[in-house]
Amino acid sequence: MIKLNNIVATYTTRRGQVNAVDGVSLEIPRGIILGIAGESGCGKSTLMKVIYGDIGYPLALSNGGVEYGFADEKGHPVTSATIRKQWFRRISYIPQSSMSSMNPVVRIREQFVDFQGPGLNKAKVLEEVRAYIRQLDLPAEAIDAYPHQLSGGMRQRVMVAMATFFQPDLILADEPTTALDVVVQKGILLLLMELQAKMRNTIIFVSHDMGVHYQITHKMLIMYAARAVEYGDSEAIFKAPLHPYTRMLIRSLPTIGDTQLREGVSGRPPSLWENLQGCRFAARCPLATELCRTRDPAFIEHRPGQFAACHYPGEQSIPLEAAA
Amino acid sequence: MGLLHYVGQRLITYVLVLFIGISITFFLPRLMPNDPIDGYIAQIQSRAGQTLSPEAAAEIRATLSELYGLEGSLFTQYLNYMRRVVFGFDFGPSFSAFPRPVSELIALALPWTLGLLTTTTVISWLLGNLIGLLAGYYHNRRLATGLEVLGVLIYPIPYYILALTLILLLAYTWKIFPISTTIRPAPLSLAQLGSILYNSALPALTLVIAGFGWNILSMKALAVSTKEEPYVSFARLKGTSDGTRMFRYVFRNALLPQVTALALSLGTIFNGALLTEMLFSYPGLGLLMRTAVGNGDYNMLYGTITMTIVAVATAALVIDLIYPLFDPRIRYR
Repeated sequence: MIKLNNIVATYTTRRGQVNAVDGVSLEIPRGIILGIAGESGCGKSTLMKVIYGDIGYPLALSNGGVEYGFADEKGHPVTSATIRKQWFRRISYIPQSSMSSMNPVVRIREQFVDFQGPGLNKAKVLEEVRAYIRQLDLPAEAIDAYPHQLSGGMRQRVMVAMATFFQPDLILADEPTTALDVVVQKGILLLLMELQAKMRNTIIFVSHDMGVHYQITHKMLIMYAARAVEYGDSEAIFKAPLHPYTRMLIRSLPTIGDTQLREGVSGRPPSLWENLQGCRFAARCPLATELCRTRDPAFIEHRPGQFAACHYPGEQSIPLEAAA
Repeated sequence: MGLLHYVGQRLITYVLVLFIGISITFFLPRLMPNDPIDGYIAQIQSRAGQTLSPEAAAEIRATLSELYGLEGSLFTQYLNYMRRVVFGFDFGPSFSAFPRPVSELIALALPWTLGLLTTTTVISWLLGNLIGLLAGYYHNRRLATGLEVLGVLIYPIPYYILALTLILLLAYTWKIFPISTTIRPAPLSLAQLGSILYNSALPALTLVIAGFGWNILSMKALAVSTKEEPYVSFARLKGTSDGTRMFRYVFRNALLPQVTALALSLGTIFNGALLTEMLFSYPGLGLLMRTAVGNGDYNMLYGTITMTIVAVATAALVIDLIYPLFDPRIRYR
């Protein structure tokens, strides 16, 4: 179980301080794929940084922290304060763009082992790496190449291999397929699911694409304006969302044979610089009442295992399917 | 196949550059309105304090024309010139040190210039890049700013001021180094080697200091921007050490434009030699070139300029050939 305890993450800018994540609490069971969705600027990437432990100026953790639910070599439970030492051991990361994330002038095999401390038997590890990447549908010689000699799909497979080789407990993937075409994208997603099913580790997966979330995630977190607005089993969320924002995101998905113009969510999220009152979604919500505009809804469990921050959870008046 | 093709292409370019360069050195002086032989005859006349008879002048003219390859049509001259230069590196005798051939004088001076300038260029490149890398990689620390200031302070000082200041301080006020070079030709021995080092130390110091300011500044700028590349951020997230990131990630990538810069500065060392060798009376190619200009020694000028062309072209060739070692993206293209 990974616990996020009321996380507030603050950026210091020239204009002052702004909370990009503003009080997110969550319990993530082990061995699942969690998807994080939300529009740009909702705080999902910042939350990923906090979970990964990549905290440093201008980002600071002003409240709360993460308990990872596993212990380090000395038996102490790993928290936000000590997670850095576990990078690419117990926790790893798959970046968005595999091309720009690899050193162009160094062979891939060097980049596979250069984060390991001294006293590493490089030759032996590389033998294991070769054996491992063959399982990932990559030729063993792929690691002898330079990044520019591989295709985009192969590079991203290498990145997946790098992030999973040490069998970490937790893998973070920040839009790992955005830069790829749909066919290659599917291959990478299937590979991730397959590896997760085999290794039983936890994957936290950020994507804009609700379709991708539907396909691969077990649980979902929807974020809006630095807050968590809905969290629960993906299947339940897609079937019966509690929050109107989630409902509108799902409605924007096309279905096969659909000829209707898809509706987006109109309007824009509020500026985090303002003094926000009430529900942050109220200005764009068709259901908003005076209550929504004045009182901040609590993030509570409305159905077993399904949380939402809304005064009118599960309100059905927004159709999930566009009217035919 | 790819490698052979790559090398072949570079070699063809090299030969072509040399050919064009040497041709230009041939034609350019011939486009000038004054005739070197007229000048030479006038010089003899003024030295002798009397006018030569027209017959004597014509005789001298014929002898000189033959000696300097100025007979026949322009095309014949060109063919002869090319043949002599390409197959014998023969530029004829020197005017000012007659009758010693130009090639012999160049061969004597060349090791001095090459030795001094190659060493100092490489040292100042290495030193400047290392300091620049540190200043760029740790660019938000105070020490790094100090290192950068070093570069900013040194870089704009004109070379002759820097050199004269060092001569004044280190050779005149405190007599640590000789004011001008006094190297006796002698067989190579330990003592001779010591004498060479002692005499070359001050010119070398001025060249190193003058050169590395620019290297600090450019490497610093490159390192700062390379540090922001996604592959460096990702390396940090992998948990690589600062040392690994600084050298394997930032330096290896920021190095590429600097290798080109090194090649170009190695190619232009003879220009640098001119001022240094004049200031320190250092017996190299620069001093030879300067004497040639002063004495209207055309053959010597041809020779030294051709040497410069060969040097620049060779440096460019060498860098083209070793560049794939630094940047694998070039290799299989």
